[in-house]
Amino acid sequence: MSTSLLNDLLTDHLDGGYAAAARRRAESGGAGRRTSARDRRVARAVLAAGLLLVGLLFAVAYRGTLRTAPESERTRQALVRDVEAGSARSDALQRRAETLSGELVKQRDTALAASETGDRVSTEVRRLEAATAQLAVRGQGIQVVAGDAVAREQVDPATGERVTVPPDDSGRLHDRDLQSLVNALWAAGAEAVAVDGERLAPTTTIRAAGEAILVDLRPVSSPYTIDAVGDPDRLLPRFADSEAARRYQSYTGLYGIQFTARKVGELRLRAATGPDLRHAEPAETRTRAGGSASPAGPGAASPGPSDEPGGGG
Amino acid sequence: MIPALALVLGVVVGLIVGPTVPLWLQPYLPIAVVAALDAVFGGVRARLDGIFDPKVFVVSFVSNVLVAALVVFLGDKLGVGGQLSTGVVVVLGIRIFGNAAAIRRHLLRA
Repeated sequence: MSTSLLNDLLTDHLDGGYAAAARRRAESGGAGRRTSARDRRVARAVLAAGLLLVGLLFAVAYRGTLRTAPESERTRQALVRDVEAGSARSDALQRRAETLSGELVKQRDTALAASETGDRVSTEVRRLEAATAQLAVRGQGIQVVAGDAVAREQVDPATGERVTVPPDDSGRLHDRDLQSLVNALWAAGAEAVAVDGERLAPTTTIRAAGEAILVDLRPVSSPYTIDAVGDPDRLLPRFADSEAARRYQSYTGLYGIQFTARKVGELRLRAATGPDLRHAEPAETRTRAGGSASPAGPGAASPGPSDEPGGGG
Repeated sequence: MIPALALVLGVVVGLIVGPTVPLWLQPYLPIAVVAALDAVFGGVRARLDGIFDPKVFVVSFVSNVLVAALVVFLGDKLGVGGQLSTGVVVVLGIRIFGNAAAIRRHLLRA
């Protein structure tokens, strides 16, 4: 019985009704000729109604699929567009801020160049700016690349096939890891440090928000590139000898994280985003350009090895 | 000619008017479409075989759709809706392919 059912399924594709109807027509063949004109009109109307129904069904199903299925996809696309527009805008604003602060520096220097006190203030301001990462920096240095463990290929012992093993959670770098690497770089004598292009100022934080790591409130993603400006011949050995670097070097074998450090001939780090001025106010009509207007925050403190950015996780 | 126009008219009306399908009917729509496709392919093949009958076509279309929906509905109630949907699609799919092959033999003689 089961084989005949399958046989029917595989061989008889046509609805049995057609053959039956044809047989009936053949039997009453001679008599049916007379009424065929009216019959044919009815038959055509029936067929038209049926096909109308078919078309309607197709259209409704099409509309239904179109409306429901891509809803989530459309939402996702809209979100992606929003994010891209937002970061493009943020980048443009950042560039504008940089050009404006460059102009500001030029204006200030011409204003201060006139007098002896101005000169002294000017050098003092420059020293402070370098210390607070308010100036773009260029020079030799080292580049440290650290990243989450990547998926590995492994031969499955049972099937002999190559399968990719997704990294587990222990191979993920956290904000703490970036903090200790950056601190090790400061300790090794780095003059300026940037993480994924974000220049670190004394007040910059490296912290986690959920799964993401934020450097100065901008998200960075693995692998993290840490650029440090300084004498590479001194910086690299001292960094490589640091406790943090040795620890992460051992983690490469232990957890499969990525970790490399190399000398770089030319690094360009841009200025950090300036601190919000909390106490300074625009000078009104004072001819003596005052040194009293100082940026807020611990700007005056030198970013020595102990003055770690992002110390508070 | 008129049947083809009726089909096009149905599609156009469906697209323009866009009747909202009640939510409880939504899961049966794909099955109904497959059943309708089966009926349409069967009709075309019967036409080419020279044994087409409008009444058989319309009745087979309506009953196909209803039975397919009913089977899936019962499956849903019994907790095997997914499997029964698959079964219906497989059976109707085999028939669609068979009829399409017959139509191809008719039209292309190959």
